[in-house]
Amino acid sequence: MSDPDRIVQSFFGDFGGRYVAEVLRAPLDELEVEFITAMQDQEFLRLYRNLLRDFVGRPTPLLYAENTSREIGGADIYIKLEGLAATGAHKINNALGQGLLAKRMGKGRVIAETGAGQHGVATAAVCAKLGIPCRVYMGEVDVRRQRPNVFSMELYGAEVVPVKTGSKTLKDAVNEALRDWASSFQDTHYLLGSALGPSPFPDMVREFQSVIGRELIEQTQERGIVPDAMVACVGGGSNAIGFFAPLLERREIRMIGVEAGGRGSATGDHAVRMEGGGRLGIVQGYKSMFLLDSDGQVQDTHSVSAGLDYPGIGPQLAYLGASGRVEFTRASDQEALDALRVFARNEGVIFALESAHAGAQVLKTAKELGPGKTVIVNMSGRGDKDIFITAKELTPQTWKDFMQREVQEIEAKEKQS
Amino acid sequence: MTHLMAHMIPYFPDYPTSLEAARALIDAGVSFLEIQFPFSDPTADGPTIEAACTTALAQGFSVDRGFEFVKALAGRGPEIVIMTYASLVISRGVDRFCRDAAAAGASGVIVPDLPVDSDEGLWNAAEKAGLTVIPVIVPTTSEERLQKIAGVNPRYIYCALRTGITGTRTELGAENLAFLDRAGRTGAKILAGFGIQSPEQVRTLKGHVHGAIVGSALVRVISQAASPEACYESLLGVAQELVRA
Repeated sequence: MSDPDRIVQSFFGDFGGRYVAEVLRAPLDELEVEFITAMQDQEFLRLYRNLLRDFVGRPTPLLYAENTSREIGGADIYIKLEGLAATGAHKINNALGQGLLAKRMGKGRVIAETGAGQHGVATAAVCAKLGIPCRVYMGEVDVRRQRPNVFSMELYGAEVVPVKTGSKTLKDAVNEALRDWASSFQDTHYLLGSALGPSPFPDMVREFQSVIGRELIEQTQERGIVPDAMVACVGGGSNAIGFFAPLLERREIRMIGVEAGGRGSATGDHAVRMEGGGRLGIVQGYKSMFLLDSDGQVQDTHSVSAGLDYPGIGPQLAYLGASGRVEFTRASDQEALDALRVFARNEGVIFALESAHAGAQVLKTAKELGPGKTVIVNMSGRGDKDIFITAKELTPQTWKDFMQREVQEIEAKEKQS
Repeated sequence: MTHLMAHMIPYFPDYPTSLEAARALIDAGVSFLEIQFPFSDPTADGPTIEAACTTALAQGFSVDRGFEFVKALAGRGPEIVIMTYASLVISRGVDRFCRDAAAAGASGVIVPDLPVDSDEGLWNAAEKAGLTVIPVIVPTTSEERLQKIAGVNPRYIYCALRTGITGTRTELGAENLAFLDRAGRTGAKILAGFGIQSPEQVRTLKGHVHGAIVGSALVRVISQAASPEACYESLLGVAQELVRA
């Protein structure tokens, strides 16, 4: 693990911090101390590593995308198949770490926010495994468009609370979780799912997600792969920071973060915070780049993927972007859907819509780098959960017929009973 | 006597009604008007105020219009305090926000997510502009933290009577009163709120505070009014009872 003195940085240049109402000060101070202590506790780390292996299914594979690389005729593309982790995405690395931390702190209840639902599903599964009651706040819009994830969370025994305030998406779920925590922190851990929010969350999430980058170092060394570039999608930024962080010192590797270009560059049509659209602000307890109007009100966002439509970006990534270490780019809804198809047909791998944004970029980067180079893309999640969105987009009529038959079947069954 | 700090939101439920609401509160004799500049993501507020902020923004609230609203009420009796969140202050620039607030006639600001030691220069900027910053503390605030806050010599301290968010009723007992007394020993004048809805609660606070803050309860009265005139009438009655408590 990292140097304990550096494990909680709080500020990354001008970004980060702990801008919270006084009520949340004490629980965050406590969490920082507990986190640092846990990360030096060999027993805690051993338990975490064992469950990463046995429960999460790590290490996740590194797949050579041979057919796609050949088709493009550029750099060799490798895919870190993070989506093969239990519950279908990288989210469980952090959920497990924080779940164990909650248990160590003696907290009898966990709350979480979720956007696409992947963090909610991961948290619900971890809480089931560790025997902790769990409540997940999820925007009403996301509940609607990610029903399969809601179903899984409930199956794991979690209580899913639809959030009806504001834009009814991820940021509003974060607000509700913060509100809950402000009165429940004495017995409740807030298991935040992305590398954002007030310190120490960005540091904590990065540390728990860094298993991705550390595995990648081992896997590339073992196989003699020398990466020239790495590509990850960026909503709040947890998969990207976990993928990048352990390799940041290797300056020769280009690192590329991909934001949601949505359906255009008008306000409300995208979630591009780094590439021109964002402003420096303080929202939800941390200072970073946000999509704000001139008064400082948070603007609406859009992305075909529920996990990328968050109006802010984790403070460390904002800093890495400002300092030039990480390049930022965007992929549109359509480019993501196209990339989804490419990797499904060529590699037998279905990306989550979020990760497909990185997939779209890696196709461009591979071409740009040219033969003899290597680029690695993080497939942060697999696409099973998106079937209700992707099928509707890619094969609307067939999907409609299927849905109608499903409804008829349910109705017929209801009539019988 | 216990002073009353009444909380309200300009442009909620619409501009004319909010203006009548302010007039009712002034006529009722409140000592402070806490005017909240709505933010899209008010994490310290409960459902009543959250919903009211959403409506106010949809009704066309802007920070410029907020200052105009303050200007229209300044000098009519109550001290005016602007409550808002960091994003609005930072976006305008801390110095400019404070200058504009002072120029509009406000005497203080409350920004819960810019606490002492993470204030982005708010305390300095406020002092330069002749404004007072009112820090917010809760019963779980440690003694060490309280001393740090006392160290910046606040004229007032806003004591939230319990943890959590605004809007749900607070039971007042020996514990919260002891908390108020502990905060009072810093030498600051104590304003106490969160869950204060009735004259009886205001009476319980007597002797422990300089002022009682009523927020969500008034916002609910405002939200139920059928017209600006009806809002004036109903709010005047409720506020008078609280002022006389």
